[in-house]
Amino acid sequence: MKFCLIAVTLLAVTVPAARAQGNYEIQVYGAETVAPRTTMVELHSNFTADGHLATPGLAATNRAEHETVEITQGINDWSEVGFYIFTSEQSGLGVQWVGDHIRPRVRVPEKWRWPVGVSLSTEVGYQRALFSPDTWTWEIRPIVDKTSGRWYFAVNPALERTWHGPDVNQGLGFSPAAKISYDFTKKITGGFEYYADYGSITHIASLHNQQQQLFPAIDLNVSPNWEINFGVGIGPTASTDHWIVKGIIGHRFDWGHKDKTR
Amino acid sequence: MNQDPDSAPDYRIEIGEIDWELSPGKKLRTAAYNGRIPGPQIRLQAGKPVSIEIANRLDRAEIVHWHGQWISPDVDGSVEEGSPMIPAGASTRIRFTPRPEGLHWYHTHAMAHRSLKEGLYTGQSGLLYVEPRANPGGYDREQFVVLHDWEPYYSASDDGSLMVKYTAASVNGRMLGHDSPFAVRPGQRVLFHILNASATEPHWLTLPGHQFQVLTLDGRPVPTQAKVEALRLGPAERVTALVAMDTPGVWIMGEPRAAFRNAGMGTVIEYAGCSGKPQFTPPTRLAWDYRSFADPNPSTYKPDLTVPLVFTSRFQGHGALDRWMINGKSWPDNAPPLLHEGLRHRLIFDNRSMDDHPVHLHRHAFELVSIRGAAMSGIQKDVVVVEAGTVVEADLVAGNPGNTLFHCHQQDHMDSGFMALFRYA
Repeated sequence: MKFCLIAVTLLAVTVPAARAQGNYEIQVYGAETVAPRTTMVELHSNFTADGHLATPGLAATNRAEHETVEITQGINDWSEVGFYIFTSEQSGLGVQWVGDHIRPRVRVPEKWRWPVGVSLSTEVGYQRALFSPDTWTWEIRPIVDKTSGRWYFAVNPALERTWHGPDVNQGLGFSPAAKISYDFTKKITGGFEYYADYGSITHIASLHNQQQQLFPAIDLNVSPNWEINFGVGIGPTASTDHWIVKGIIGHRFDWGHKDKTR
Repeated sequence: MNQDPDSAPDYRIEIGEIDWELSPGKKLRTAAYNGRIPGPQIRLQAGKPVSIEIANRLDRAEIVHWHGQWISPDVDGSVEEGSPMIPAGASTRIRFTPRPEGLHWYHTHAMAHRSLKEGLYTGQSGLLYVEPRANPGGYDREQFVVLHDWEPYYSASDDGSLMVKYTAASVNGRMLGHDSPFAVRPGQRVLFHILNASATEPHWLTLPGHQFQVLTLDGRPVPTQAKVEALRLGPAERVTALVAMDTPGVWIMGEPRAAFRNAGMGTVIEYAGCSGKPQFTPPTRLAWDYRSFADPNPSTYKPDLTVPLVFTSRFQGHGALDRWMINGKSWPDNAPPLLHEGLRHRLIFDNRSMDDHPVHLHRHAFELVSIRGAAMSGIQKDVVVVEAGTVVEADLVAGNPGNTLFHCHQQDHMDSGFMALFRYA
């Protein structure tokens, strides 16, 4: 299970708002990385049922369907590299390429036997100005998680930085995310995912301008090779898209190199 | 054996914590017997009583099980059967008459529960060899081989529950490349006595360019001494196999699966006059079938009783071990049927779970009579790997009255309810 929310600035930035959510990849990251010589292909489908309207020069999120393809290659038992292709589809614009990101990630190897899972992700990418005034962004995301019995906890206190765009002087932004879930059965896990953007770490945005989202979500563990997640997000603050439906479907390809140690 | 309690015992076993060097770069602290891994080899003669003193220097109670021996429940080394635990700092002396012959072992029978620093995760195991009256095969040398995995940790498994993995492995207490090579000469016939003492892992063993002629399984001679390219040993299984040294070179005898071999599970076999880097080539395929060593004719005996034993598991969460059940209940809530002395019981091991289980019956041996519905006879064992989704039938002639423990020999399964106690009527 992983969750990460790509923070692509979509709002007008003339107010000291937190960076708005792009709603391209809404997922919490777990500490686990993709196994060596294995490729994980995921499709993130997010529909904003009630979002922001278009502003001059910036596309709306309202009624937008965002499809993101994520391809992650496991390098060894402590690292992976992910690559994203973001697209958006909405009335009047058709299907649009939004941008691409690359995301290397390292973890504390499982064999170190730490009591919690720990990894560190960094993500760099470009997005078209039509969809984000901040066209080049960077993120660093510490990830800590823990599975205990039927419970799963994860926290991602991510920091973001705009490299090119109106927010370039805003400095580091704080975009934490967290997840708690419970295994109802071996195949069905349910819980809550929380995503936020508090704006600059030196000037926390007002609640009005913060992004806050809560997703009741389920994970279906139908097979070790498949990853399925579904959730409905509620955004109560003015700067947040109010209703989002998200789904993730992913498949692992081991190319015949599956760990046969059992 | 001297019955005088003040006299010296035939053997002494001291259980204590040691710092052990698997390799120059890999040291670990673990409990072991007599300060070494594996513990001292004990060679006994069938029918000749022996006294063994066991001193527990640990800060927790311990117990030593005499695996494969048909002895009394009070000394077999299982609390469930009635053997007493040895309190921390205390000593005890046990006496028994070894039987049957063959390759067996002794090991801790303490529960580890969620601790990965107790039970068979430690170095508390050693070989027990009861000298056979007849030589099992013409050989020039014999070599004892004990496989073990080290530094366990919990990890997510493919089937959604936790499993135990390891970072290191050893043969006779050393990682591959860090023990003296086993020196052989062309033309020699070497008798390998092999034990898988891993807490949870089945292991394969191959020697490139050579074949293993299997003579015994769990210390009992097999009807068909078939030659195989690779041996498979579930946890607690033993194999005695003859190898003709007819391919000179410097070879790795080790796990064909690279992950285990790279973790240290292998040893070097060096022919006289050969040198260079040890070579390893994996076998073309890994296949193991008990029937290869059996009498292909079905058992002619009809069972007096049948004893179905259905293995299932209950999911406890992705961050937990499964709960294991026999006939729908976990230890200690299950109660298998009574055994009747002198009668032939057909044990039906029906594994409806997604894991293989090396199931072990204390103080007895059973004869395999069918696997996956294919009839066979002639193989007597005390551990059999019942593969996921399969049924194995085995005949037990109840001939050793007393409480008799039956369990999966995977430490994590045993600790999670996969045990049952047979009682005699």
